[in-house]
This record gives sequence, structure tokens and C-alpha cells, in this order.
Amino acid sequence: MTLELQSVEKIYEMNSVGVHALRGVSFGIDENEYVAIMGPSGSGKSTLMNIIGCLDVPTSGTYLLDGSDVGSLGEDQLAEIRNEKIGFVFQTFNLLGRSDVFHNVELPLIYAGMRPARRKKLAEEAIDRVGLADRMKHRPNELSGGQRQRVAIARALVNRPTILLADEPTGNLDSATGAEIMEVFDALHKEGNTILLVTHEDNIASHAHREIRLFDGQIASDSFESEAA
Amino acid sequence: MSRIHASVEAFRIAVAALRANKARGILTTLGIIIGIVAVVTTMTAANGLANSFRESVSVLGTDVLYVSRIPWMFQGRFFQFRNRPNLSLKDSEKLARQLGTGVAVNPTDDTRRPVKYLSEVIENATVIGTTHKHMLVSSAVPEYGRFLTEHDVEFKRHVCVIGTTMHERLFGPVDPINKKIKIGRADFRVIGVMEKQGSAGTFGGPDFDSQVFVPVTTFVREFGGLHRSFDFAVKAPSSVDVADFEYEVVGEMRKIRRLHPSEEDNFAINKMDSLVEAFNNVMGVVLMIGIAITGISLFVGGVGVMNIMFVSVTERTGEIGIRKAIGAKRRAILQQFLLESSMICLVGGAIGVALSFGVAAAIDRFLLPASVSLPIVIIALTVSIAVGVISGFIPAWRASRLNPIDALHYE
Repeated sequence: MTLELQSVEKIYEMNSVGVHALRGVSFGIDENEYVAIMGPSGSGKSTLMNIIGCLDVPTSGTYLLDGSDVGSLGEDQLAEIRNEKIGFVFQTFNLLGRSDVFHNVELPLIYAGMRPARRKKLAEEAIDRVGLADRMKHRPNELSGGQRQRVAIARALVNRPTILLADEPTGNLDSATGAEIMEVFDALHKEGNTILLVTHEDNIASHAHREIRLFDGQIASDSFESEAA
Repeated sequence: MSRIHASVEAFRIAVAALRANKARGILTTLGIIIGIVAVVTTMTAANGLANSFRESVSVLGTDVLYVSRIPWMFQGRFFQFRNRPNLSLKDSEKLARQLGTGVAVNPTDDTRRPVKYLSEVIENATVIGTTHKHMLVSSAVPEYGRFLTEHDVEFKRHVCVIGTTMHERLFGPVDPINKKIKIGRADFRVIGVMEKQGSAGTFGGPDFDSQVFVPVTTFVREFGGLHRSFDFAVKAPSSVDVADFEYEVVGEMRKIRRLHPSEEDNFAINKMDSLVEAFNNVMGVVLMIGIAITGISLFVGGVGVMNIMFVSVTERTGEIGIRKAIGAKRRAILQQFLLESSMICLVGGAIGVALSFGVAAAIDRFLLPASVSLPIVIIALTVSIAVGVISGFIPAWRASRLNPIDALHYE
């Protein structure tokens, strides 16, 4: 099992009132799965995504990533895990505006402490993989929305992550460009990557092979379990 | 290994951030620039002052004691000393006899008189009555011509030896040897010109180069001697410890003065050391004031940098979030902002040092010999980096502690 959540709960303290964002969520994802997490806003999607992405830790329950418990790690250890095992793709691209495409993609490898020569090779491969080899020295503001998201995908791929986490990856794109981006994800899945999409759009979710629907901090349905049943 | 790469990245970010905000950075560093100019100028001026002091003091030598009526540094106790008996030329002869051969005792006194050659006049020139032993107690030698001899002193000859500045001002290009000049109302023949000795005159000390030396006997005859008190320069023989020698001189002087053991000395022993000590005290105060002014401007500059770093951290909260999300540790973020603030200050420091070269050149031209030395530059740049690290620390610490989720969603 690539990742496994067991009765994960998350409670936020807000003005001394506990907000129950996740109320006991359990599921596992295997290697090379293509999963969509769906649900209305306030259902706990973002919280779940943050926990899976090691940006946050559960209040209770366990989260195993590649077999090791990451729920009790400190901030710097979580940063290390994110660096090695997680590839993020955000709705708002989240690229560094002052840096060119190459440097944006190379950045995770810098924080991993990799040598420049090897960094260059891997970053160029990743950029080539998303079809932007001729845009290497361009800055994000010189690129279209679709191209920016491709850069973000290249950055997410460059460290060969255990899981690719995409949070509304087409949310800021028109439908044609969004479809192109989804083709990229489909192809990456075919190449053996494990992908987790967070979305509220059915047509995006339909690219995935498994749908987990959240409601009020709990799993309302999981297509994998219903198939199994 | 990974730290080195992270450092290179941090350096790159800092440079990019500075280039993106050039005007802001320069304005921010104004306080640092002023502070560093203050540091460098203070230290350079102090160095120059100390050097020119040392130069002029070295002429006199540290193995020479000066027996005088009044100590050089009497700090407000003048009335205590004013009734002491004078030291006469007779006393000087007695002291020389009692200390024995091998010890040079040179009586001197000075006065101020106008010195005139043809139509050129120097008002208020320092006239020094001395003897041929001046050469033994001082390192000064004539550049050409000769110094006073025993015969000049014995026969009260009207001859004189002038300093280089006096030579230039009175004679210009004319050879002064054997020319007649008027000192006060008396005629003197120039027999020599002293070597240039450098001047302590810039801070109120004697200007050795505009003095004129005459035989002390002639001096007494022409400028009055009955009510004068002479200074005796006494040079310790090289085989004797200066401190022991001082006791001996004190003992002999007490005999000459016929002092009872219960009476205090009614003369003073002056040494270069006491002059140096007094100078160092003054320098200490000057330096303290300089450091205080410098400290204040650097503090103000530091607060400015801290302020701008808070702005920088806030502006780049989103960037911090991205970096953290893809694996930057707290240390990497801390380093990034510390480097940025130190580089702002280093740029300020470098501008300050550059300006200081100009200020030092002006001081050198108009006040006293001064030049910016490498150690001072290194100190100034180190101080500016330190200010950067200190003032950048709190903003950088805050940046490093930001929650990645909050930072990512910061608008």
C-alpha cells in the first residue's frame, strides 16, 4: 500500500471552538492508482489533501506513507518527506514569478541537496516531459495558463514522487486547456505514477479510476469499495 | 552537501531580491552608510592623529627625562606648582657634575619672538635656547650646515639653527647659511637648517619645523634669564634602566634643592611616557564619542533594515509557502532572509567605505595625515554584515516559522 489512512481526525481550534474538519477517515491507495477526491466545499477535501501532502498532521488516527507513520513528525521532517515523496500541483500554479521555468522545476532538487549537473539533467527531462523544452528560460508571466500548469507538473514530477497530488489543477484554466492538462495526467498515470486529484468537477473526476466522495468530514462513498463489494 | 546547495540558492534569491528592489534597498541602507562613514572616518582620523603624535614624540626619545619646575600634565593643579623655585643654568651644571660623565644634561628654555629676514617676518616664532648637547638628547639633526657647538654656547655667539618650515617661509629658495636674521631685536647668523621632523602642531603640540635654536647663553643675554626656569633634558646612559635612573636624578635634584627628607619634591620629572599616556587618555575619549555616534547611526540603520525585512517577508509570504511546500526546511528560509538583510547592509557598508575614502582624503588634505587602512575596511564591512544579521534575524525567524498552508493561501 502506497499510503494508508486509519480513522484520521482533524480538529481545528478556532476561537476556542473545535471545528471537526475530518471525522474518522480511513482508506488506502495502492501504487499506480488514479484517484479523485470529491465533495462540496466544507466537506474536508482541503484538510485531507493537506494531511496526505504532509503539510499538516492529523489530530488523531494514523497516516502511513510508504509504510512509515508520518503523523507525529516535526516540521522539518515533514518538509523532507514533502521534498522526497510528494509532488504538488496547485490550482493557482504557485510558481516563483521571478525565476525562469528551469529554476522553478529545479527547486525541489536544490532543497534535496542534489549536485548541479544531476539537477540540470533531471529538470530538463521533466520540462521536456511536459513539452516545454523550448521555454526553459522563460518566466511564468511570459507563459499561458496551460503552460504554467505544465511547469508546475514538471516541478511536481522532477523528484520522482511517490504520489502526485493535484488540487483543482484545472480550476484556473479554460475547458480546452483544462482538457490538455488532464491528458498530461492521464499519460503520467499510464507511465506508472500514482495520482490523487482533488476536484469538485465531475468531468475532471471522471479521468480517475476511483472516486472518493467526502461529506461533512467523512467518506460518503468510495467507488473502489463499492466495486469490491 | 545539501546545506551548500541551499546556501547557493539562498544567495541567488538574495541577489534577485536586491536587484528587484534597488531603490528601496539603497534608501534603507542610508543609515548604515552614514554609520559606516562615521566608523571609518573616526578610526582613520584617530589613526592619523596617533601616527602624527607618535612621529613627533619619537624625535624626543623615551630614554630622556625632563626635569622641570612644573609637570607637563598638571590638570588644574597649577597653583600648587607656581611658587616652586626656578631651575637655573647653575642647577643644570650641578646636576651634570653630580650625575657624572656619560650622562648628558641639556638645559633649554623657549620664548616667542618675531623672526625677520629682510622684509619677511614670522611673528611669534618659537625661539629655543639650548646647547650642543641637544644633539645627544634628541634624534634631530641638521639637514645642512651645522648645529650649535660648545664654543657657540661658551662665547655666547649670535648664531642660530632654523627649522625647515622657517627656512621656507623666510628664505624661499635662497641659501640661508651665513645670512643674518633678526630674532627680537638681536642679529643672529644662520649656521644650519634642521631636518624635517613632522609636525604635532595640528592638535596643539609643538611644530618642530618652525622653531629656531640659539645658544642658551645668548638666549639668556638677549631675552632675559634671571626669572627664567629651564627644563633639563637628561638622557639615561644606555646601560642603565630608565626607572632606576629616574630615582638617581630625583636624588641628585633633591640635593641641589637642599630638600629635607620630609619635604616633597619641588621640581617635576617629565617623561615621554606621561605625554603618551595623556594622549592615549584623550584618544580614548575621542574614540568613545566616535563609537557612540557610530553606534547610534548603525542602530537607526539596523532598525530601518529590520523594517524593510518585515515588509519583504510579508510581500513574499506566498513564495515562502511554495518553497516550504516543495521541501524547504526552516533553516533554508531563515538563511535566505538573513542573507538578504546582510547583503543589504553589506552594500550599504561598501558604499559607506567608498565615501569614507573621500572623507579621509579631505582630512588628509586639510587636517592631518590620514588614510583608510585595510584593517579598517575589513572591520567596517564586518560590522555592516553583523548589523544585517542582527536586524534581519527577527523577520527571518518569523518567515522560517510560517505555517506552509497559511503561507500558500496568503493573498
